[in-house]
Amino acid sequence: MSFAPSTTSVKLVLLGEAAVGKSSLVLRFVSNDFQENKEPTIGAAFLTQKCTVGDRTIKYEIWDTAGQERFASLAPMYYRNAQAALVVYDITKPASFIKARHWVKELHEQASKDITIALVGNKYDLVADDNDSDDSLRKVSMEEGKALAEEEGLLFFETSAKSSHNVNEVFVAIGSKIPEAKPVTEELGSRPGNVGRIDLSGPALRSNLSDCAC
Amino acid sequence: MAPKRRPEMSQVSSNGHNEFVFGEKGGRGKNLLSFLKNLSLTGPLLNSHKNDNSEEINRNINSSIYGEMTYGYTSPDTGGLILPKAAASLKGKRLSLLSFFPYGLSKIDTTDGSGTQSNNGGSSRLASPLFRHATNSMSALEASLRPSSRKSGFTDLDDDWDAQIDDVDPEVAPVVLKPVARSSTNDMIDLLHPDLMAFAPSLRISVERKPSQRHPSRDRALMDSHDRQAEQEVRFLNQMLTKLTKFQNILLKNDGTIDLHELRKLSWNGVPAELRASVWQLLVGYLPANKSRQASNLMRKRSEYAEGLKNVSTQILFKDDNVISSTANSSAASVPGGRDSNNRDNSVNKDKALYHQIKIDVKRTNPSMPLYSLAATQQSLKKILYLWAVRHPASGYVQGINDLCTPFYQIFLGNYIWQLQRKAAHKTGAPDDSPLFIPGILDDNDTQEQLILEDPKLMTYTAENFDPSRISDRVTAIIEADTYWCLARLLENITDNYINEQPGIHRQVSDLRNLILKIDPELLQHFEAEGIEFIQFLFRWMNCLLMREVSVGLIIRMWDTYLSETPLGFNLFHVYVCAAFLIKFSAELKEKDFQDILLFLQNPPTANWTEKDIEVMLSEAFIWQSLYVNKGAHLR
Ligand SMILES: Nc1nc2c(ncn2[C@@H]2O[C@H](COP(=O)(O)OP(=O)(O)OP(=O)(O)O)[C@@H](O)[C@H]2O)c(=O)[nH]1
Ligand SMILES: [Mg+2]
Repeated sequence: MSFAPSTTSVKLVLLGEAAVGKSSLVLRFVSNDFQENKEPTIGAAFLTQKCTVGDRTIKYEIWDTAGQERFASLAPMYYRNAQAALVVYDITKPASFIKARHWVKELHEQASKDITIALVGNKYDLVADDNDSDDSLRKVSMEEGKALAEEEGLLFFETSAKSSHNVNEVFVAIGSKIPEAKPVTEELGSRPGNVGRIDLSGPALRSNLSDCAC
Repeated sequence: MAPKRRPEMSQVSSNGHNEFVFGEKGGRGKNLLSFLKNLSLTGPLLNSHKNDNSEEINRNINSSIYGEMTYGYTSPDTGGLILPKAAASLKGKRLSLLSFFPYGLSKIDTTDGSGTQSNNGGSSRLASPLFRHATNSMSALEASLRPSSRKSGFTDLDDDWDAQIDDVDPEVAPVVLKPVARSSTNDMIDLLHPDLMAFAPSLRISVERKPSQRHPSRDRALMDSHDRQAEQEVRFLNQMLTKLTKFQNILLKNDGTIDLHELRKLSWNGVPAELRASVWQLLVGYLPANKSRQASNLMRKRSEYAEGLKNVSTQILFKDDNVISSTANSSAASVPGGRDSNNRDNSVNKDKALYHQIKIDVKRTNPSMPLYSLAATQQSLKKILYLWAVRHPASGYVQGINDLCTPFYQIFLGNYIWQLQRKAAHKTGAPDDSPLFIPGILDDNDTQEQLILEDPKLMTYTAENFDPSRISDRVTAIIEADTYWCLARLLENITDNYINEQPGIHRQVSDLRNLILKIDPELLQHFEAEGIEFIQFLFRWMNCLLMREVSVGLIIRMWDTYLSETPLGFNLFHVYVCAAFLIKFSAELKEKDFQDILLFLQNPPTANWTEKDIEVMLSEAFIWQSLYVNKGAHLR
């Protein structure tokens, strides 16, 4: 573990329709693992992972929310103080793209003004081989995704949690867009969610920074 | 149907011990105590009768350990002993009472040295499930012993009669148990109890001790822990038998109406596995207490389910992986733009979305258990969940409900298998268990049922190793219907948890917070200092009733208690259980910061929990409920 000049804690939230692969993306990012049948998330799950971006270490405090409509009323609690958000859809499910639009809108209206949002079209592995032929599994084109991202000022990626395509890239890109936050100070009693919040309990971290192919 | 008392045992005093002696009065058989000693199974239960004056203790021992059973023992001439394989494969380190008492002892009475059949209806009906249980627990124990004990001098005796017990400490175990001749034992089993023959391959085991070549002190240490384990098993077995008898007495009561009050009282502390399906159905109020109404009521409910399914099936064809909607077709054909067709489109889309959601969740339900990755299981769950959702539009399907239907499904599937096993056993002479069956499931005309009955492996099946696609459509529909109605009853208890905004869960969370404020204010303070919001971890505990935090087997035990509460415990009582669950970790949590608290509570260390842990937690919850709720909580 090298000593980065500064560590920034970033509170990040994942939003998106059920089963688009939010938990799978996080699992890939945090544990470099993939499970074919992951249990649906209930409420939200909390995870952390560190990542080096340039000369900074970013510690992500991740809230992976549940996609089902019924749980949507919980979402504000999780995006309220978030500095970053991944809005995820499934490129084989058009309805999930519509849902993604709604989330982007809601974030712009309700979340903090300087939130960094990445739009993520997941399950790229399902279409990687076919060239957008008519019977392709792909139902949302890359152009549509890009267009929405440009329109709304979002980062944009197509990813696969399964093949790990582009997964780390999303988090690196977010990290480099996050403004250089207050560097870590030993200020005690800092509240969770604060930008400068420190983690003094190294062992709890699942992996070293080197895991992150940044 | 009270089991007959066993008169064959008497006690004599020798060497300052009271010893159990087998045999008709006077006719001295084998000395059980020394035998047990040899197996290092002497524990408080067996020692406790030292006090000759205590009739109470004697009576308890007689009735609780032996009362419902006769004694299995082979001829004193040979000194051989019949044990199920699982026990023998432990190589005598700890030949479990649990595994051979209910079996050998209930079946075989050889006081005259030749073996005469003893017919004890009260107990032998239970032999098979007990045996199964024993075998299961034995293989688990065996696995745990494996590293130290696998190879040395032991041969697995599928084809050989003599299990050599090579690592019994010679000082502790002075008695040599000799092998039984193969043929005679086999014949005897055959003679004594025909349905034992199903297990004959696993029964041809006798015990012989060889001088130990192993480290005496290490062996002694092993024996000590084995002693303790064995002791626990004896106690467990006793409890189980007494409990079973009590349940049977309630369920088989002759006046035709089951006393639900008594049943709740008893079930609160756990329901025996083989009776769980019917007891649960009684407790949720699905199976009527009045026995004369049971069959007709179930029939009505089951056909209601089938009807309901038929109606939704016109929209959704479950057989097909894609959503095929007849209304979708018709609306596609109709002129677009009209208000009606818009509505219809909307509702069709809603149905599709609902089905899609259920489909993806069923695939992801309980991924760690093979049963739930089978197509037949998933098909059943989809139907149950979809029908429930369309018939309860205020809440509709909410993730987590998929988890809640699994205990019912699993228990009812297991019950069908159990009924088949008892039916098969009855055909070969075992007592008739049908009075304990949930009505309407078995049917001689069901060809698939006949096939399963003829399956030589029938006796080894449980809900966890049986593919439900082998079950006839008729019985599949029954299991689904029973699951559906019991799930519906459960969900009635917590409707507010799944309607819009889930107010029930928010109320539970705030109730729990208040409770922690009273019980463990330091913990609350610590959480607040760290910025933990209760909803952040409690939401899931409430939404899935701790099913994500605790293994299904233990959840089933918890539900015995929840279902015995009035009203059902999934709502109010569950809050107290969650409080007990949280406070169990209080000390650890107070040492942790925000992120470690959350990581810990999302994945609490319950992997090694046993029913004991659950029962302690339930008792604490009960105490708090009685302390903090003014109403006279529940009936214990
Ligand atoms: N082929 C493929 N499948 C994926 C990918 N990511 C996720 N899946 C699968 O999609 C399903 C849903 O994944 P989850 O990660 O549970 O989805 P989620 O968005 O967290 O769902 P909720 O928790 O219900 O909101 C699972 O069966 C995953 O195995 C991917 O990149 N490629
Ligand atoms: Mg998820």
